[in-house]
Amino acid sequence: MASTRPTAGAAVAPITAPGALPAPRGKGRPARRWVNLADAAPLLVLIALCLGLGLASPAFFTFRNAVWGVANQAAIPLILAMGATFIIVMGSIDLSIEGVLSVGAMIVALLCANDSNAHDFGWWGPLLALLACTGLGLVNGLVHVGLRIPSFMATLGLWFVGLGIGTVALGGSAVRVLDPHIRMLAFQRIANFPMAVWVALAAFLFALLLERRTRFGRYVYAIGGGEDIALLSGVPVARTRILAFALAGFFTGLAAVLATAQLGEANTTIADGRLFMTVTAVVVGGTALTGGTGGVVNSLIGILIVVVLANGMVLLGISPYVHETVQGLMIIAAVALSIRRGAGLVIK
Amino acid sequence: MPAAERPLATAEIVQRVRPFAPVLLLLAIVLGISIAEPGFARFNILSVILSDASLLFVLATGMTFVIMLGGIDLSVQAAASFSSMVVAELLPHLGYLAFPLTVLVGLVVGFGSGFVHVKLRISSFVATLATGGIMTGLSLLMEDGRSVSILDAGRAQSTWVTGAWLFNIPNIIVIAGLVAIGGMLLQRYTRFGRYSTAIGAGEPAARAAGISVDRYKMIAFALSGACAALGGVLLAARLASGSPDLANQLLLPTIAAVVVGGTAITGGIGSVGRTVVGALIVSMVRIGMTFVGVNIFAQQIVFGAALVLAVAITIDRGKIAIIK
Amino acid sequence: MLTVDQVSKSFGIVRALERVSISIRPHEIVGLIGENGAGKSTLMRILSGSMRPDSGTISIDGKPVVLRNTRHANENGIAMVFQEQSLLLNMPVADNIHLAQERPFMRLGLLRRQRMLDAARQHLAKVGLDIDPAIKAGELDFAARQMVELAKALALEERTDAPLTILLDEPTSVLESRDIAILFDRMRALTARASFLFVSHRLDEVLEISDRVYVMKDGAVVAERPARGSTVSELHAMMVGRELHAEYYREGRQVPPQPEPVLEARGLGVRGAFRDVDFTLRRGEVLGIAGVIGSGREELTRTLFGFLPQTDGTLRVDGREVVLRTPMQAVAAGIGYIPRERRVEGLVMDLSVAANVTLASLGIAMRHGIIDHARERAIARDWIQRLRIRTPSAAQICRNLSGGNQQKIVLARWMTARSHIMILDHPTRGLDVGAKEEVYDLVRALSADGVAIVLTSDTLEETIGLCHTILVMRDGAITGRFDAPAGAKPSQLQLLEHMV
Repeated sequence: MASTRPTAGAAVAPITAPGALPAPRGKGRPARRWVNLADAAPLLVLIALCLGLGLASPAFFTFRNAVWGVANQAAIPLILAMGATFIIVMGSIDLSIEGVLSVGAMIVALLCANDSNAHDFGWWGPLLALLACTGLGLVNGLVHVGLRIPSFMATLGLWFVGLGIGTVALGGSAVRVLDPHIRMLAFQRIANFPMAVWVALAAFLFALLLERRTRFGRYVYAIGGGEDIALLSGVPVARTRILAFALAGFFTGLAAVLATAQLGEANTTIADGRLFMTVTAVVVGGTALTGGTGGVVNSLIGILIVVVLANGMVLLGISPYVHETVQGLMIIAAVALSIRRGAGLVIK
Repeated sequence: MPAAERPLATAEIVQRVRPFAPVLLLLAIVLGISIAEPGFARFNILSVILSDASLLFVLATGMTFVIMLGGIDLSVQAAASFSSMVVAELLPHLGYLAFPLTVLVGLVVGFGSGFVHVKLRISSFVATLATGGIMTGLSLLMEDGRSVSILDAGRAQSTWVTGAWLFNIPNIIVIAGLVAIGGMLLQRYTRFGRYSTAIGAGEPAARAAGISVDRYKMIAFALSGACAALGGVLLAARLASGSPDLANQLLLPTIAAVVVGGTAITGGIGSVGRTVVGALIVSMVRIGMTFVGVNIFAQQIVFGAALVLAVAITIDRGKIAIIK
Repeated sequence: MLTVDQVSKSFGIVRALERVSISIRPHEIVGLIGENGAGKSTLMRILSGSMRPDSGTISIDGKPVVLRNTRHANENGIAMVFQEQSLLLNMPVADNIHLAQERPFMRLGLLRRQRMLDAARQHLAKVGLDIDPAIKAGELDFAARQMVELAKALALEERTDAPLTILLDEPTSVLESRDIAILFDRMRALTARASFLFVSHRLDEVLEISDRVYVMKDGAVVAERPARGSTVSELHAMMVGRELHAEYYREGRQVPPQPEPVLEARGLGVRGAFRDVDFTLRRGEVLGIAGVIGSGREELTRTLFGFLPQTDGTLRVDGREVVLRTPMQAVAAGIGYIPRERRVEGLVMDLSVAANVTLASLGIAMRHGIIDHARERAIARDWIQRLRIRTPSAAQICRNLSGGNQQKIVLARWMTARSHIMILDHPTRGLDVGAKEEVYDLVRALSADGVAIVLTSDTLEETIGLCHTILVMRDGAITGRFDAPAGAKPSQLQLLEHMV
């Protein structure tokens, strides 16, 4: 092959005109979107579920049901799922959301006008709750990164610490929220949808922005896709991890405020079952627990699947207790179906 | 590889003392509480503590095997509650047979968790979170969310748990003792014991020695399920009823008992014997705190923090290349 | 101009680099060759910033630099394109190219994706890759990914004024010939912007693309030649090591193998790793497999123990056809495995000597269905004595024993399990001379006892010295077959000619 080297110092221009080169074989060409059946599966499941339920129960496709049966029910779980998504994409897990939510709810209830003490700090309650929950998330991150403990252990500890703090502060009983503004936060309607839904939508858009258009979002995916490569390339892994946990704390705090507003009180069971539902939704939506794939859109679809299923069971008169059993089966099915790994990976 | 540096004197001392730390801690706690409340170290108080520790210990034995393998079982409280309901339902129909049958059910469900974990390659905490959820759902479905009482006939048949046959020592302590001995024997003298220790301490090496890692992991989860079921049976007998949330609040102390006892969550190091010490510590602290007036939920704060601390100390970071 | 001056590096007692000096001038393509263990990868790692030398200096345009880490090396214009590709497969090509360098594309804290994509397109154009930078890296094939890595390395020129030096580590081993031609074409055109260090075991390709070639042997640079006018056989001759000492490998104790076949492979292959492997292993025979990384020999040894089931061909153990899907099946078939990562796959470090010795054959220490600890210790003590394993007791945990003793325990385990076939995967790696000799003694003893051995080793010397028969592999196929009877051993050169 004759030497075709340009002389040193020649103008540095593109080597050849674009398009004049043999393209690499295989899949080097631009990919079409939605080409992967596995990626589209959760959405297809959702659509199939909606159609099926619509056929089984005419009440499903009413506007009223869409607002109160689905959207309103999905609002708080969606917010929780936003925080959980970043953690899971990174390849970690956050088991503490129930504990953090308890603390947040407790702060809101005890600081605003309530039936347990004479405080009447109005919006300071939710504000401090957000701050405290973000702080707890930060603690999660610091313990995990600083003490170098696997995330499930660090967050397991905080789960119980948070539950303990929340329950102790509530004195073991419920505290009713009397402040009308805070209650309106959940129920005030705008364009026929309750505020909770709008808040959830805003949270979703915020999370989407973080995921797609910030460096933080890219780094979360990089860590999930290959932490050693990311580290070598100069990605600030430790800082990103801590931030992701703090962010999850923030979303949990937001969910806590809404939950307290919706329920009208803070009690010892306000957070029960939420971890399970969040993990189910994220997994069912297609975000792999091993990290690196999926995202907040997947989690939205996952939440909708879980909520629509619950809604359907209510409409069809099926016992609500079946729901929890079904959720457990859904996690297993969803994870099993998304298996694409070879042997050799040590799964703990 | 750069040559290893000589450890400093203090680091060496820490290394030597570390295995004994839990026992020392236990003694310190007993001493501490005895000094604060001189009425503490009497037989009936000890009896209460040991009875509480017994239940915890049965649950923690199964958990020990799972943790030693490097996994975790988040379904124990759901499994125990579920078993309490199963045994309460079965007693009127099957009499004494209800007890072993319930444990068998627990064994099978536990095996299921292990199967899901190993064959479907789902991490153990998700697999057990899922199976735990399924069991909670089933418990709620059984009686539409209500509990099941054990009536007189059943109570009479439960005296093997509630009675005190041997020198007035509560039977439950004896049962826990038998489970302890059984666990220790299992660990020391059986293939399962040796292989599960090997898998936890060095899974790639165990695999390269021809050990069927999958099989022994599933057995460990099956045992954990059986122990959780036994725990549920004991609880139901004591409280004379079964309910879907009977064993709530027991997950954390169970894990704490194993980890504080010195079994590392990275696997391999640890034993049922250490869990005995761990369970005693946890019970001492629980009862001690209640004695001194700390409320049960506040205890959770202490335990949550202690758990994280215990893990931070016992974990072997060399085993996990990337801490996720 | 990048200059390496008298750089040395040791790992414990092993001297990986011995006062190495090379230089890479602007717009040059410099080739680097040498067999396994010659020091090439250590040198690359030092140049790319992931390792520091023990002594010596690296200078850029005459100014000495200490490369603290990869990022610092990047700032000095040095970028490495890895053999095992280092792209994040779950992320778009553009994100990979700009990873951790997104600042130029930020506005008000947000990434401007269109700008990132456009910039990526320009970088890709430099290597002639016309793909959509928004697609995930995992959707590309090997060749395209290689080019993206090259583009990523070239993107450095936006961020640094230092002259660009790109290190290529075996870039062609996974490419088809058409893609190799494209790669070389690009490289020649790119010399306007960068110089290259090209490491490969394919000497013909090295001669084709390079201006100059350095030859390394045993950690030192032994020759420097212009590519034009040099031949492959000249290079081979310079790569070969020192003379064999027949006594070192106990050649005198090498006895001919028995005729009975114990392991037979016909057309054995694993898609993507190796193909058409035929051999017959007889009782007492020591079969060596020689080859560089990427030749397929590592995968072949893994297949023989059930880590990597074959996709083509047949394997027969004692006449019975088997497909080994797990190590458990291999052990059941009577095969034992001494792994190269002793501390990970060999011993369970926190278990005792006795427990490790019986790990593959626990039944032997059991009586009435339970483990008899006294018996287990007795078995271990027997081996401790016979193999002269230096340990305070059979109950000692293995973590603190020396490498040589650990290796003996692994061997003891398979001897306890009565394996009649043993796969020795780099058995003397990390051992000092005395420990190595003890391993050689054991190999001879096992062979005399009728145990059949498959051996892969770090050095050609060791392979030639210990084995009865040697297979040479290159790029996934067997390229040579040699008999090595005592007193009539092939030379290293003969083997090397088929390896590179």
